[in-house]
Amino acid sequence: MDIKMNKDTMELLSIISGIVEGEPELLNARENEIYLRLSETGFEDATPALAERKFSLIGLFCAEAFEKKSGFTLFYVFKQAGRAPVLVLVREAGKEKKVTSVAGTFPSASWFEREIRDGFGLEFAGALDTRRLFLHECYPEGFHPLQKAFKNGPIRWAEAPSTEYRFRQVKGEGVYQIPVGPVHAGIIEPGHFRFSVIGEPIFSLEIRLFYKHRGIEKLAEGKSPSKCVALAEAVSGDESMANATGFCMAVEQVCGINVPERAESLRAIMLELERIYSLLGDLAGMAVDVGFALVASPFFILREEVFRQNEKLTGSRFLRGINTPGGLKKDIPDSLLKGLPAFLKKFSRAFESAFDRAMSSSSLIDRFATTGIIKKELVSPLNLTGPIARASGCPADTRLDRPYGAYKEFAPEPSVRKRGDVFSRFEVKTNEIRASVNLILRLAEKLPQGPIFAESTGYAGQNLREANNPGATGYSLALVEAPRGQNLHWVYLKNGLVDRYKVRTASFCNWQAIEHAVLGNIVPDFPVINKSLNLSYAGTDL
Amino acid sequence: MVNPLSLFLRKKVTETFEFRDEELEALGTEIKKEIPKVFGHSLAIRELDSGSDNSTEIEISNLGNPHYDVERFGISFVASPRHADVLMVTGAVTLNMAGAVKKTYEAMPSPKFVVAVGDDACDGGIYKGSYAVLGGVDKILPVDMKIPGNPPSPKEILKGLVVLMKQASKEVKTGV
Repeated sequence: MDIKMNKDTMELLSIISGIVEGEPELLNARENEIYLRLSETGFEDATPALAERKFSLIGLFCAEAFEKKSGFTLFYVFKQAGRAPVLVLVREAGKEKKVTSVAGTFPSASWFEREIRDGFGLEFAGALDTRRLFLHECYPEGFHPLQKAFKNGPIRWAEAPSTEYRFRQVKGEGVYQIPVGPVHAGIIEPGHFRFSVIGEPIFSLEIRLFYKHRGIEKLAEGKSPSKCVALAEAVSGDESMANATGFCMAVEQVCGINVPERAESLRAIMLELERIYSLLGDLAGMAVDVGFALVASPFFILREEVFRQNEKLTGSRFLRGINTPGGLKKDIPDSLLKGLPAFLKKFSRAFESAFDRAMSSSSLIDRFATTGIIKKELVSPLNLTGPIARASGCPADTRLDRPYGAYKEFAPEPSVRKRGDVFSRFEVKTNEIRASVNLILRLAEKLPQGPIFAESTGYAGQNLREANNPGATGYSLALVEAPRGQNLHWVYLKNGLVDRYKVRTASFCNWQAIEHAVLGNIVPDFPVINKSLNLSYAGTDL
Repeated sequence: MVNPLSLFLRKKVTETFEFRDEELEALGTEIKKEIPKVFGHSLAIRELDSGSDNSTEIEISNLGNPHYDVERFGISFVASPRHADVLMVTGAVTLNMAGAVKKTYEAMPSPKFVVAVGDDACDGGIYKGSYAVLGGVDKILPVDMKIPGNPPSPKEILKGLVVLMKQASKEVKTGV
């Protein structure tokens, strides 16, 4: 196979060559990703050295029967802040049922390893936590849905399981537990929070999620990419556009499809519209959680206006059903886009007035400031991304670090704060809304004319009926900056059909920060801390 | 002493919000008329997510935003199932949530109604055939009304509630 390398990927290769003995096996490389297969000893030498060089583990997933291998293949995705390409170390577990854990070096691996253990039955020696993750007690022992041997369908499950989940125990004088959820008091998604408190302050919090595990990754297997877009949209409703785009990008990279410029620009406009309505929900929610309806209402009004704008442009309030590998299913006519600048101008006026009102309230600032601090030191080990990381002093933004689509030409204005508290997140999110408005205006002004769909596609979708098109085989990884942070999509196509789809949303990693953010805060501040992080349950539980 | 008349004559305290949707107003008037035929004066709804993609939650909570503001029609969303007349369920009922769904339903006082909101709640939708879900909400609870959509818009949800109340008032009358 002819593998094209560029300066960036060569550099990553030389880093690894410098660490491990013997040449690593180069499996694949593209503009922004390089896959190296290492021996077990090579792998064990490489991981601590990568940690020393400040690489973060941004993804870890497994595939069975990858390429010509039998058994399990593990993919460790590393990224260095500010460097565009990702380094993927490929580790063959083969028929082994046990490999060593890297969670001691890269704490973000802990949930990843538990996820793989549930999905594939692979054990990790020396893991920090060996409890099940997405398979709750109702699932039978020995059930591993992502193994190829399991054909999707109803299973025998226990309606009233006899075992209980072991929560972390905190004992001591005056310590008591508050269990909350999975059903919460409000219109929100389910999850369980186990607080251990001493009086009012929170001494420890353990979260338990995955109540909404719907089996998205298994459902994707065997489907054509164009059919999978709806699944990507269902990962997390308010990130429909980001996830559909991420999935499509991965497929387009595998198939070597060049998306027309107009489609790229329209995608970026929609991604920014999604960011605006999503972040507006956070701001409104934060105001609600400190009992300040006067600020929440204008944000809610604006959010509804954006939903209506979305519907006008695409026919869907959640921007669904328009993305497809190769571009867009339909164009957004210029006659509709023409109204966008005037809408955004009016939007900005109302937004600034709501923002000023929020900032003129000392009680709101008092509740936000110094509450729910996330320290910068946590960002890389837990792989925190998005506004959360940017409010804690880390400027990382996929649109800037690893620009894709129209972001290669149109960069958003970055916003960074250092304190890491609720107030910083409020500020960063308001700035990001402003930046998105500007970005849309710039994109709309220079919107190219032309087609919105790439004509030749190598996957089994539109061209399925053409008998001489065998469909593409290959794999690729896409990173997109969703409103909540960086989402990772990895697609492995076999003969044009999805053989493995791995999606890791920003929330999957960001959730783990909440256990740190609440420490020492009082229980009544939990809702506003939670809202300031606004994590997706659906996007984590899959 | 404040002259009580001045309270009526002075300008409104709230800012003007220029938005009016006649269809929505008509729906609201209609449901306000139907609710007392079944319940006291208002309808208390408990929302329950049994495994949705969160877009349906967003649309249900949008019913409370200033554009819709359904509380003025006598509809409120309550925190406890013990206070609820209607259980609004979203999502395809995951195995991990099935137990909690049942417990929530059982905690509600009778008479009670179950409404499935969104395609996945109606019949499993996109998750049909997955090991991780049971399918529609009717696999586990008696469902009185299905509101399809991916997700249904706030107005569609309100329309569904109007139909539910009409259906229920008929049942009350005939004693079914």
